[in-house]
Amino acid sequence: MAPRRKAILGGLTALAATIAGPATSQAATIFGSGSSASQPYIEALFKAYKKVDPNTKFVYTANNGNAGAKDVQDGKSAFALQTRPPLPSDSGLSYSKLFLDGLCVAVNPANTVNNLKISQVRDIFLATVTEWGAVPGSNQRSPISAFGRNSTAGLYTFFQSAVLGGVTQASNVTQLDKDGEVAVAVSRNQAGIGYVGLANSGPGSGVKRLKLEGQPCQASAIKTLRYPLSRYAWLVLPASSPNRTVTRFGDWIRTSYAAGLVIAREGAVPAFNAKTPPKKKHKKKHRTT
Amino acid sequence: MALVSPHRASRGPLPDQRAELMLGALVCGVLLFVLLLLVFVFREAWPSFHHNGFGWFGPGGNPDRQVQAIFTSTDLGQKPVYTFHAWPIVWGTLVTTAGAVCLSFVSALFVAVFVVEFAPEWIRRVLEPVVRLLASVPSVIFGLLGVLVLVPFIGQHVITDGNRRSVAYIVSLSGYSLLAGVLILTLMIAPLMIAVFSDGLRAVPRGWLEGSLGLGINRWRTFWKIGVRTARPALVAGTVLATARALGETVMLAMVTGGVSFAPNPADGLIFFVEPTRPLAATILQTAEQLTSAPMRHTIFAMAAVRLFSAAMLSLAGWAAKQPLKRYGVRT
Repeated sequence: MAPRRKAILGGLTALAATIAGPATSQAATIFGSGSSASQPYIEALFKAYKKVDPNTKFVYTANNGNAGAKDVQDGKSAFALQTRPPLPSDSGLSYSKLFLDGLCVAVNPANTVNNLKISQVRDIFLATVTEWGAVPGSNQRSPISAFGRNSTAGLYTFFQSAVLGGVTQASNVTQLDKDGEVAVAVSRNQAGIGYVGLANSGPGSGVKRLKLEGQPCQASAIKTLRYPLSRYAWLVLPASSPNRTVTRFGDWIRTSYAAGLVIAREGAVPAFNAKTPPKKKHKKKHRTT
Repeated sequence: MALVSPHRASRGPLPDQRAELMLGALVCGVLLFVLLLLVFVFREAWPSFHHNGFGWFGPGGNPDRQVQAIFTSTDLGQKPVYTFHAWPIVWGTLVTTAGAVCLSFVSALFVAVFVVEFAPEWIRRVLEPVVRLLASVPSVIFGLLGVLVLVPFIGQHVITDGNRRSVAYIVSLSGYSLLAGVLILTLMIAPLMIAVFSDGLRAVPRGWLEGSLGLGINRWRTFWKIGVRTARPALVAGTVLATARALGETVMLAMVTGGVSFAPNPADGLIFFVEPTRPLAATILQTAEQLTSAPMRHTIFAMAAVRLFSAAMLSLAGWAAKQPLKRYGVRT
């Protein structure tokens, strides 16, 4: 029995060494948490950043923005992503802007309404207005079917503060789990209206984005912050001695051309990124010709 | 151990005995795991029950707003809030489960009787694999089917603008409804019932049926009076299994029932069926993102505890219902 047990023990330690070895010796793993709305963007950025720094591994938990900020305060996460500006409760944290995102209000393409005021959207989602007949510009004559997100969603929190003035949305708003589900519901309901992220309301999604206060929900208007439901994604770091690798990663997201491409491809709007690729010295000759 | 001679005992147990010990240890491990699970869930759930008492199950306010109040109470560093009255959610669970189980019990019984007794051989050969396949389709597929086909259909062809206007300020009748949930849930649990029912019906001794036929009773009557009666324990077992699945169904119901913690009101007449709701398991799924807040975690675990308790009670009730039926015939 004894020699066999020794062999098993030896095997186990060898196995443990092979599993744990590369993770501890070569690559540094950095933990982050926060907004679930920003998760698709940050995951794509992690992937692209591998080309810049192949030795760093990022692990991101989407638990929602406020929880992420708390994790950073408690030292559980090296960084957090947040979709709201800093509040007084965020003591000991530093916020920096990364890129822009927009929340669109969308209707079914069969609806002729094109432009709404924020106050009209608020009336619809607070059940003050329940008929399309009461909305100028609409050809629909049926009751409004409003679709939204459940109260745990980051998009809902943003919508609640930016449009509803902090009030809970009315009980007659059908609450769905995912951004895409709202788009599908509106695309299949002629009387539908819903709030959908920029990424899920583009061409091919089957919904029509509305102008808000005369401003279209598209990259150009979001970039200049003229579109009322534009918002920044924020990088949250501890105010004192933040992790160097993370600050470098944040700078890369904010300023590099490559990160700008990734952000735009994933459906958000790059805000501060370089507009042209960095010039490489040995290729200069080709460029000038 | 006593049967083993001292000579063998010194060299440890025989290989087959070792296997027995291993299996025994495995079973004990599983039991221990279940016990720990129960302890953990109920310990986490206790604060929520403690604060609300039996009012937890009762009506009072809108659970969605209560959830938000619970969640944000820790954000601002205030005293944690625990007030939670889950009646709309509990009611939604009861109605969707009962509706789907009733519908699928009737249809599954007819299908099983047909498959076992009346179907020609070739139909049987096609039907059985199809039923088994249906039983193994993941629920998210059914959910997509509901969102893309059934929900828009109900929204456009079942609900009228008049219906919508009558409740416009309270809920939106958009097709995401109790009816959609019940119909798809029926489709999901019926195959399970059909499989168990037909196994039970097939186990009815041929002699009993032949005896009845020999007395000149027709096939239909014979099968209902003897076959189905004898297979009652199997019917109970199938129903319990299917009810457990219906109670636990999460993703599909979260997708098609409308996600509002609203208790559909039978007093509204036929509109009752197209009103939105949200069952227990779907609520757990949707609020799981808020586990980071301690009072919210206790509330979520309280819902899980209710769900766990109902599952345990269900299998107990199934076992109790089977006892008096056992002496009539086949065991399952």
